[in-house]
Parts: sequence; structure tokens; C-alpha cells
Amino acid sequence: MREIIFSWEYPPRIVGQLAAYVKTLAVQLVTSQTEPYVVTYDDYLTGEYDEPEGVKTFRVTNPVHTHIGVLTWVLTLNQEVERVAANIYYDKSRQVDLIDVHDWHFIPAAVTLKKALNIPFVYSVESLEDHRSHGSNSPFNMAIKSIEWLGMYEASRLVVKSEWMRDEAFRLHRAPIEKMNVIPPGSTGWMKGILAVYKNTAEAGAS
Amino acid sequence: MDHDLTIMMLTWEFPPRTIGGISPHVYYLSKSLAKNGAKVYVVTCDFPGAPQHEVLDGVEVFRIDSYKNPSPDFATWVYLMNMNMQKEAAALAKSLKAKVDLFHAHDWLVATAGIGLKHVFRRPLFATMHSTEIGRRNGIHSDYERMIHETEAWLTYEAWKVICCSDYMVSHVRWAFGLPPDKMMMIPNGVNADVYAAIKKNELSQFRSRFALPEEKIVLFVGRLVHEKGVHVLVNAAPKVLEKVNAKIIIVGNGYMKEQLSGIVKGMGIAHKVLFTGFVDDETLRGLQTCADVSVVPSLFEPFGIVALEAMAAKSPVVVSDTGGLAEIVDHDVDGVKVYPGNPDSLAWGITRILTDETNANRLRSNACKKIQERFNWDRIAQQTMGVYEAVLGEYSKSFWAQKS
Repeated sequence: MREIIFSWEYPPRIVGQLAAYVKTLAVQLVTSQTEPYVVTYDDYLTGEYDEPEGVKTFRVTNPVHTHIGVLTWVLTLNQEVERVAANIYYDKSRQVDLIDVHDWHFIPAAVTLKKALNIPFVYSVESLEDHRSHGSNSPFNMAIKSIEWLGMYEASRLVVKSEWMRDEAFRLHRAPIEKMNVIPPGSTGWMKGILAVYKNTAEAGAS
Repeated sequence: MDHDLTIMMLTWEFPPRTIGGISPHVYYLSKSLAKNGAKVYVVTCDFPGAPQHEVLDGVEVFRIDSYKNPSPDFATWVYLMNMNMQKEAAALAKSLKAKVDLFHAHDWLVATAGIGLKHVFRRPLFATMHSTEIGRRNGIHSDYERMIHETEAWLTYEAWKVICCSDYMVSHVRWAFGLPPDKMMMIPNGVNADVYAAIKKNELSQFRSRFALPEEKIVLFVGRLVHEKGVHVLVNAAPKVLEKVNAKIIIVGNGYMKEQLSGIVKGMGIAHKVLFTGFVDDETLRGLQTCADVSVVPSLFEPFGIVALEAMAAKSPVVVSDTGGLAEIVDHDVDGVKVYPGNPDSLAWGITRILTDETNANRLRSNACKKIQERFNWDRIAQQTMGVYEAVLGEYSKSFWAQKS
């Protein structure tokens, strides 16, 4: 199985808890005999490609250096994530089984790749904008929420880390309960659960 | 190629959604390309009342769900709209039996969609730069403007060929983004003279009477009421014109300068001689252009100047500022009059020169009309564009993208 992981943070670039989680996941996926690729944001220490602990890691920068906010930065950066993922797809004779998107940042890229190249994706929910912004509904928050909604709508499966988050995804975005898998990090059967979701997603395809 | 050349055009405006010059440009270009044997798909923003999908003059038009929540600002909306456009265009391109041969993006407003589609489908991207942020704003003064400037630079970087509508714009874009000359291509904008020929001349005098007295000459300005269009220069030239000629100055369009300008006109005591019509529909606009005794394009920055071409096609004599694309459209004293940009005395001189010498005005009219038919007709422009497409697809066929994908 060949999967591409999108995450806006990945060691050595650590912003919150997500970086460590995705790192553990990617290393475990190598040990589990799959072929994970990580596409993440640039870190000046690493350059654009490296393979720490066997994980093929691409790091992209934003061609647009000047920004007026996180949203414009993320939306333009998506194109580079998309470009690198498309390159992996073509380099590997169009054999990419799925994409695993962590949080909202790179959902736009995953959606285009699904529509254009039939690569299905899993949306792994770390946190939601409604919680981060304490229910604020400014145009800025609404845009992020609409991207989260798009991800939940277009994803083949949603991985949530607790039952509480499952219920929140349902409450806030009306994500179908049956589309979600609750897989708490570090729990026994964590990796088994992730692999099962990946397998189902790859077999079902993008439609 | 084993199928008709298949083109996907990306544009944020397409009739009936018309904000500026890109909408008519893409409409006529697509229509003429289709007439010349290409299969053209236009992907554009939706518009109230316009269908999601229609075939218009041989062109397949798809209107996407543009982002409709309130947006923090215009540029953020553009990127969000591009996210939707890219999603829907990707699904469309994927669903077509014939592969899309190339993507053609118009301005930075569809930059990220164009760049994304290029890479996921591995097909060449063309970009037409109709304008630039650094030109519109006469420099880059804020992070907001710099972000747009850098997005434009990125689009020109990703494009296989960058098309501009005038030699002036080619050199401006090269200067702004540091592009190599062999990446640039000049293909002029066109104008459709048929729509003016179709106007019934016998109904015009009644139409005219809605705007001016029979004894008043009509001086027409058409454009957004913003600084770069130089409408304030015309307002300042107005008293000098009115000293010599009984005229009505008609200003068509909207913009942030409107109130300020009408205040100035009142202060000058010539409010009865200057008419602000606001935005008018196509029929009224064409009627006015046909009635105009002189059409004025006093722009300070003008990448092309389509409004001058329209006036020439409507057989109205033109006075233009000697700048940008306008300088290339008009030959001074041959098919129009050129004046110094930003100079009300010079503009007033140009206007009075046309209004006081009818023989000369008629000579300019007929020369201008000839030029329009020869140089700025859409069929010819479509053929030039096809030539560029085919040359690039030839280069592309030798690239590893074509070989491997």
C-alpha cells in the first residue's frame, strides 16, 4: 500500500501536538510494510527532501512570500502540496492508494487530487475551528469551517481521536456517524485500526 | 493530434457576469477559437440567472459555485473561489472523453486554479496578463498588494507562455516579473464591429435626445471612475472645451471618484453640461458610442485600451492619451488624436480639434474603421492564438511530462 500524508506540521517543525502524532504514524506505517510519503511545510533545517527513519518526506515552501493572513498562506501553499503529490503519483506509475489529510490545511489539495486523479482520501481530525475560535463566526472562521465541511463531505472516511470529537463533528458539520472511525492515539489496536481504515478506503476507491 | 484541440479557459468573469475587459475578451476569443475548429470549455464564476452549463456560440460554458460566504477581503475571496473552481474544473476535465490539451488562465484571479490543474493533469498552462497590480496601483504599497504581485509573478513563472495584448504590456510584464523575452507573446485584443453595424441609424436621434440637446456635440467617456482611467483629467479639460464648443460631456461608468468628480463639476458651474450615467447596459453603451461626436480615453495607465477600439468600431473619432496600449492602437492624426497623458490643456486641444473640423473628423473615422477590420478582428486573433497553442504543444510532446504521463 502506498499512501501520502498531508500535514502542515512535521518534525523538526513542531507547532502543536499534531507533528509528534503524524511522525509516530508515518514511522509505524513504514514498520507495517506500507510505503508512506509525507508532504509538509518547509523547515529551513531540512531542505526539500529527506528520509528520516525511512519516511520519504517532501517539504514545500510557499511561492508567495507575502501574506495578509493564515488563510491566504494556506490556500496558496496548497498548490505546492498538490504539485508534489501529483509528482509522486506520476513517478509511481499512477499507483497511489490514498491520501491521509491531517486537519483542514491541505483539504483543498486532497479534493482536487481526488477529482482529477481518483485518489481517495481520509480526513484525520485533530481539532476543529469552532473549538479553536470559541464559536466565533467571522468571515475568517467561516472560511476555515467551510473547508472542514468540504473535507468531511469529500473524504472517504473520517478518523477522529475520541468519541467526543465524533459527536462534535456530527454536531458542527453533520458528518455522518457511520463515516467516522474513532481511533484514540496510543490505544491498543491503534495501528491496526488505522490500517483497516486505509485498506477500506483504498479498496473502495474515490467515487 | 487525434482529436480537435481541446482548451480549458479559466476566467473569473464571463458574460453575463461582466466586471471589466476580461469578460468580453474571453467571450470573443473562445467563440472565435471554436469557429476555427477548437473545442473550448470555459470555466467561470456563477451569476444570478445564468445557467450552470450552457453551449454559447459553440463554446461549452460551465459556471462554478464561487465562494459565497462573506469573505475577509477581496483577495482571500479570490483564493477561496479558486479552490472551488479548481475542484469543479478537475472533475469536468476528468469526465471529458477527449483529454484537455491545455489550460489557459486569465489574470491572477484564476492563478491558483490554473497552476493546480496544470500539475495534476500535466498539461501546459497559458496565462494572459490583462493587467498587473504594480501597474494598477502605480507601485506596490502594502502587504496586500505585494501578495497579489507575487501571485501574478508565480502565475507567469508556471505558465509555458505569457500572452499580453500590446507591446507596451509585454515590456511592462517583463519588467514587473523579470521574464525572458522568448516566454512572451503579443496578441492584440479584438473588437466585434458587427454589433455596431447592426444598430438602426434611424432610431438614433430619438435615443440621442435622451442624453443631449440636438445642438450639443457629445463628448463620451466610458470606463471605471478611478484614478488610472484619467477621468479627472477630462473633468478638468471640460471648461476649456466648453469655451469653444457647445458640448455635452457624458461620463459612463462607476467608481470611487464619482462623488468627488460630480462635486468638482458643480463647483465649476458646468453641472448642466456634464452627465454621469453610471453603469449602462450593452445596448445603451453601443448607442452612445455610435452617437458620440468624439470618444475620449484619457487613461494614465492602460494595458490595452479596448474602449478606444470599440469607439473606432462604432465610427466615433477618438482622442487618447499617448500611453500604454493606447499609443499602439492610434496613429496620431491618421486614425485618431493623441494627447499628453494627465494634461487637461492637451486633452482639451484634442477634443476641440475634432469637434471643430468635421472634414478631418470624418477622415479619422474612416481610417480607424479600416484599421479595426484589418488588425483587430477576432478571427485573425484566434488564428494567431491557435498558432501559439500548437507551437507549445509541439514542444510539450517532446517533454518528459508527455512521454511519461
